[in-house]
Parts: sequence; structure tokens; C-alpha cells
Amino acid sequence: MEGRGIELNIGPVHPATHGVLKLVADIEGDTVKNAKVEIGFLHRGKEKIAELRYFNSYFPIVDKLDYVGALNWEILWASTVEKAMNLEINDRVKYIRAVMAEIQRIMSHLVYIGSFGQDLGNLTFFIWALRERELLMDIVEEISGGRLAPMYNRVGGVFYDFTDGIADKINTALSKIEEKVKKEYRAMTYENSLFIMRSKGIGIMGQKVIKENGVTGPNMRASGIKRDLRKDEPYLVYDKVDFEIITENDSDVYARFMVRVREILESIKIIRQLLKDMPKGDAKISAPWIMKVPAGYTLVRHEMSKGEGAMFLVTDGGLKPYRLKIRSPSFYSLQALPLVLEGCKVADAFVITASMDPVMGEVDR
Amino acid sequence: MNDFTDKLLKAFPNGLKASDGGTIELTDKKKLLKVVERVRKNFDILFMLTVVDRPPNFELNYVFSKYEGRDILILRTLIKHEESIDSITNLFPSADWEEREAYDLFGIKFDGHPNLKRILLPEDWPGHPLRKDFVVTDEIKNWTGLDLKF
Amino acid sequence: MIFNEIYSMLAYYLPPKANLIASALATFVLILIVLIATPIILGWVDRKFSARIQSRYGPIYVGKFGLLQNFADVIKLMGKNFVTNQYVDRFSYNLIPILSSALSFLLIALLPFGAPSLTFISLPYNLLFIYILLAFSPLLIIIASWGENNKFAVLGGFRSAAQITTYELALIVTFISIGIVNGSYDIINVIASQSLIWNIIYLPLTAVVFFIGSIAVIERAPFDLPESSQELQAGWRIEYSGLKYGLFMIGDYVKLLAVSILFVSLFLGGWSGAFLPGIIWFWIKTVVALMFLMSLRWSLGRPRIDQLLSIGWKWLLPLSVINLIIVEVMMLI
Repeated sequence: MEGRGIELNIGPVHPATHGVLKLVADIEGDTVKNAKVEIGFLHRGKEKIAELRYFNSYFPIVDKLDYVGALNWEILWASTVEKAMNLEINDRVKYIRAVMAEIQRIMSHLVYIGSFGQDLGNLTFFIWALRERELLMDIVEEISGGRLAPMYNRVGGVFYDFTDGIADKINTALSKIEEKVKKEYRAMTYENSLFIMRSKGIGIMGQKVIKENGVTGPNMRASGIKRDLRKDEPYLVYDKVDFEIITENDSDVYARFMVRVREILESIKIIRQLLKDMPKGDAKISAPWIMKVPAGYTLVRHEMSKGEGAMFLVTDGGLKPYRLKIRSPSFYSLQALPLVLEGCKVADAFVITASMDPVMGEVDR
Repeated sequence: MNDFTDKLLKAFPNGLKASDGGTIELTDKKKLLKVVERVRKNFDILFMLTVVDRPPNFELNYVFSKYEGRDILILRTLIKHEESIDSITNLFPSADWEEREAYDLFGIKFDGHPNLKRILLPEDWPGHPLRKDFVVTDEIKNWTGLDLKF
Repeated sequence: MIFNEIYSMLAYYLPPKANLIASALATFVLILIVLIATPIILGWVDRKFSARIQSRYGPIYVGKFGLLQNFADVIKLMGKNFVTNQYVDRFSYNLIPILSSALSFLLIALLPFGAPSLTFISLPYNLLFIYILLAFSPLLIIIASWGENNKFAVLGGFRSAAQITTYELALIVTFISIGIVNGSYDIINVIASQSLIWNIIYLPLTAVVFFIGSIAVIERAPFDLPESSQELQAGWRIEYSGLKYGLFMIGDYVKLLAVSILFVSLFLGGWSGAFLPGIIWFWIKTVVALMFLMSLRWSLGRPRIDQLLSIGWKWLLPLSVINLIIVEVMMLI
């Protein structure tokens, strides 16, 4: 007799789905036959809100797009508006933004690593990763006054300059994190045999799936595609620093994890270089709070912690955007998720989902 | 990039025309699939699909990008509000969710899309919120999304 | 037996009939204290220990060092509403928490607490009886998960049944080895015969097998797949709330203590040791075993169910059988 499988609704409220992602999986025995992804549970109409707000008043909204990588999105929005206005910003602002972007990238990757460890049933690792993130959180708080949603950037610069002696503090925090990543994290995750047993060889996302679905960022680099907008299309001051594009070749869950771990170390390298040759100057240029932006189309894309984020801004010469379209990298990663989930074990399904690093605030917008 | 744009323009002399800022405008929307098929030879990501509502038209901006290099191609086409357009999901599978989103927020019908359902909003949501003629009616204000039976 | 001890202590003061009642009451109260105190104290140790591993403080506010935190939690748990899904099968749903915790309490009542006389129930073949108690749990879990009428629960229940059945086979082989080496299935005799050489020297492989197998059987992390909170939310416990859930948790801690006592008694010589009194040795060993069990939970992730089963069938079972054969050959020589 042909047995019917179980249709399992995973989420939207589930401890392992990282927010309000919903998976509908057809399960036979312990194998996922096929899976559907349902999104939209965190849709807040951010693209609609953009049409109702002044350009500078949109920063708090941008902050909540990717709530573990807020500064990256802030910088993207600021750059988009500046490009639309043909505004040239100071060198110091570029450096400050690059430093903040990299700090945010490390924080985002730490959350990824931690929550990934938690999905493997290791709560200790989650708390350890948050402990290291806390060091950087304190720094962001000292600089900007905010922690999760800092509200630090504005069109034409940043709100506050770096405080005195912050460079030393950043350096201390970075060397602490570097040591932890290289020693404790190694023992706990990437050289731990249980961890390797769980993560190697599952959730293989080949180059074909990646290219068809437009997956970018660390998920793509884990399959050996060497592409990073910081290198290929340098924005801010990334053309002045020396760093490598991290790639792995296995394209499985372990590779996606390793790309993040190694990117943390790479970001630390970048921040150190940036801090060393940070120029003097003003942290912002005088630009009005409420301004008109000339009509036109502007497309700016940056390398977020999760992939290539882009903003397509359509302006009509008024005080508010005519239309803003946000490309969120997680949106495309999730689109590829059903293809990757096919034929995996139920327990692996959660690990694979976590390895994509979806942040629902960014997906649902 | 310019080479490819020129070639593309030459290949479809009466369907395409160059627009400002390196954008290509598709004047004949029936040729969309053929143009996109040609584009696919050079670009491998549908980077994003931006729909702009300019009543009475919808303006669709297909942004294509590549895994190698920094090239970007923007293909722009105009359709009337009540018109539908061919789906490019067969050529670029990543258009799947983008087209569903456009359908969801603007109500654009894509012919040949395998699964054209709402994606971000609930399936019984009244209206398409990103249209410029969208107004918050009483139906929307009182919409709960719950079909509660007690 | 504890009852006999109390009886002989009170015999001087009370007439036989009153003594019978008084010592029965005293034993009952003692059992109650042990059963209530064990999970609460162990819970505190677990929380504090895990907190230190994770660079947190753990409970600090209620009482000194947060010692009373778990009492507060138990009181809170008792005051909670029972939230019951209307589709559950009431009978099995309500029966299982009671049965399952009763089984774990019975488990601890069978074990010695540091001296031959310190047991609540003494049976001649108590090792076999303990095995039966451990073997009973998959049945209960399947009934519970089926009665809950929830997909996650059913998945967890099946996992649990597969896992426990696999690892029980390994466990029974270790018990047989112990029986052959020590010539008895009574824990007290097993400990007595290890006064010179501990079993772990004869049976190193078996000790490892027992350790892993017992963690799997009591579903302690890292082998807590049936209730893995990240994947199956809470596995077969998903529909339970309030005190019913509390009973499972209490049962868990009691089982944890039982397994560490069992390990100490079977392999580490129980109360045998030099210089210090036996009971102190016994508790030192038990605490070390407990801490080791707990630290495993906080430092390892969990394997997948098929990996766990293949470890069980391909490694633990053959290993324990090999060790059994070696022991048999040694006994013959």
C-alpha cells in the first residue's frame, strides 16, 4: 500500500525559522519530498512608506529592514540619495561608513554563526557568539547612540564623528574577536567532529541553482563563484584597502558557514587598515534636512552581509521618492531554498534554512 | 556593455530604442521574450524588477546583471494598467518571486507564470497597495484577515 | 533498606506496631523529600553550571546564589493553567506524564544512595528491573505522541522509539557483561565485588557504550533528538503544559541522577575507595559523573537521527558484544 506522507507546517512561529518564515514540507518518513516557502508575514509596506516620507526621514525605516545589519542598509540608502542628488561626500565620511559597514558585517555574521550553532542544538555557541557581538554593539552604541537600529547616517554624511580614542577600543575588540574565532569557535564548530558530521555534504546549492535564482553574497561564494561588489564595483573606499574575496568550493552547509567565519577575519583586516589611514575632515557636509531630489532613475548596489542589496530609486523632482524598490539578497536566497531542501532529512531542513541566513525583515520589507 | 547594447539595438530595430543613461526601452511589448532571450546570452542574473506606476501606464524596469564583471542592463517597457505582459520565468527562474511581487503590489498579470499568487500580502487582501490610485477604504481599514467562527 | 534502618533505630522507643507505622511514614516522607529535592537541586546545578559555561550568571536573585530559584519555578509551574488541545486523546494524554515520572521515581528508588542499606526498595535482581524500567519508556512516548494528535509530536515519538530501542540493545549487552563479570544482577553485590578492581578496568569498552547508551536512552542532550527544541519544537512534549510538562522535566532530572549513580555503581566501584568513608567517595564520583553528563549537553550539538542510529547499530552494539566475548574468554581461562 502506498503510504501518504505528512504535510508538515513549519512556522511561521517556530524557534528555528529565524523570524516568521513558513515552510510547508511534504514529509515521507524522515525525508522532505518537497518544500514550499511562504513569506510575507513581516510585510510592513516599506516601499509604500518610502513614497510618503522625506528622504532623510526614511532612515529609521531602513534600519528595520535587516535588523541584524542595519548600518549596511542605512549606508546604501544614503548613497542612493547622494547619487541621485549628485552629492560628493567627504573622504572621512567614506572611511567612517566603511568602518561601520564592516563592523555591522561582523555583527551580522556573528549572529548567523550563533543561530546556526543553536539550530544544531548547541545553545552555548549561540550565547558565545552574542557575547562577542556585544563588544561591537558597545562600540556602535558609543559612536552612534543606538545599538540594533543606530540611525547613524544621513544624506551627506553621518550624524556624529568618531569619538576620541574609539580606534583603540575598536582594535581591542577586534583582536578579542579574532582570538575567539580562531580558538574557541574552532573547537566548538568548524573543527568539531559532531558539527562537521551534521553540516558537511548536506544542502548542496550548485552553481546552476545559484545562477538561476540570482543568489548572491556568502551563499554564492560558498560555491566557488568569486564575486564581491566591494571588489568588482568598489564603492566607498574599498578600492583603497587590501582584502581577498573569500570562496569555498563545496557549496554545502559547511562551506556556507566557513565563508562567514573567514569573512569575519577578513573584515577585521579591512577595519584595521581603514582605521590606520583615516583622514581628517568633517563628518558631514551641509545638506538640508528636507530637500528636493532631481528627477531620474538611480540604481545603487552594495555588498550586504547577506548578499547584494540594491535600491532602485525613482524620483520626480519632489520632496519625496516617487518609487523605491529594494532588492533584498535574502529574498533570492529563499527563492532557491525549495530546490535545496528537496530530498533532505527533516532535521537537516532546519540547518539548511539557517545556513541561508534569511532575515525576514529584509525579505518581506 | 556598450557593444552589447548596440548589438541588441541593431538586432531589434523596430522594437527597441535607446533611452537616457544606458537604458534600453522596449517599445513593442510582444517582443519581450525574444529580447530577454537575447539578453540572457550576456547577462545571467535578473537583478531586480522594478515596477513604477505612472498612470495610466505601468513602467517595468528589468535590471539584468552578471556574475562576472560589473555590467548592468536596464530594460524598460510600458504597459497599460489593464494590460498583461509575458512572464520571463522560463528564461530567468529568479523572475518567479519578483513577478509575483509585482502582481501582488500592482496587480500586473504575467502571462505564462506558473504560480501567479500573492506573495507578500494575504491572498484575500483587497487592492494593490503600491498603485498610485490606491486609497485606504473602509474595507481595508476593517480587514482582519481572519475568518473567525465562534 | 532504609525502612529497616529506621525501624531498628526506632525500636528502642516505640512498640512494634506503632514503630511499623511510624517508620513507614518516615520512609514515605524521606522518599518525598528525595523526589522533590533531587530535581530542584539538580536543576539549580544544571542552570548554574550551564550559565558558567556560557559566560552568564545564571539564577542570582532568588535566595543566595539563586538557590531558591527552582523552588520558585516549581511553585509557578504548579499554579499554571492546563492548556489542553481539544483534539487530544484525553486518557493517554493525562496518563503518560504520571506514568512516566512514576517510572523514573521507581528507578531512583531502586538505586543505593552511597551505602548498601541506603535503598528504598531492595530487590535481588534490581539491575534487570532497572533495565525493564528503562525499556518501558518508548512505549509510553509513542502512546503520548499519538495521543497528542500533533504531527511534530508523532515525528518526535517515532524518533524516540527508534532511538531508545536501538540503544537499549547496547545497554542490555552491557548489563549482561556486568552480570558475567560480577556474577550477580544485584547492584549491591556488583559494587561489593568491585572493591579491589573496578569494572571499568575489565570492561572499558562496555563502560563507554553504557555511558553513551544511557544518555541516549534517557534522551539527554546531545542525544535529545525526540524533543529537539529547534527542529520539532518540543517533540513529543509539544502539547503538554503546566505541571504535566513539569512532571516530564522532574522525571528528566531524576533519570539523570539515576544514570550517574548507575554508572558509578556499575563501573566506578560505587562506595569503594581509600581514606575517605564510602558514602563520601560515592557522592564524589556521582557528582563528577553528573557534571560530565551536564557539560556534554552544553558543549556538543546534536547528531541527526540516522547518524545516531548508525552509531548505535554499527559501533556501540558490536563494541559491547566484542567486549562481552573478551570477558567470557577471560572468565573461561
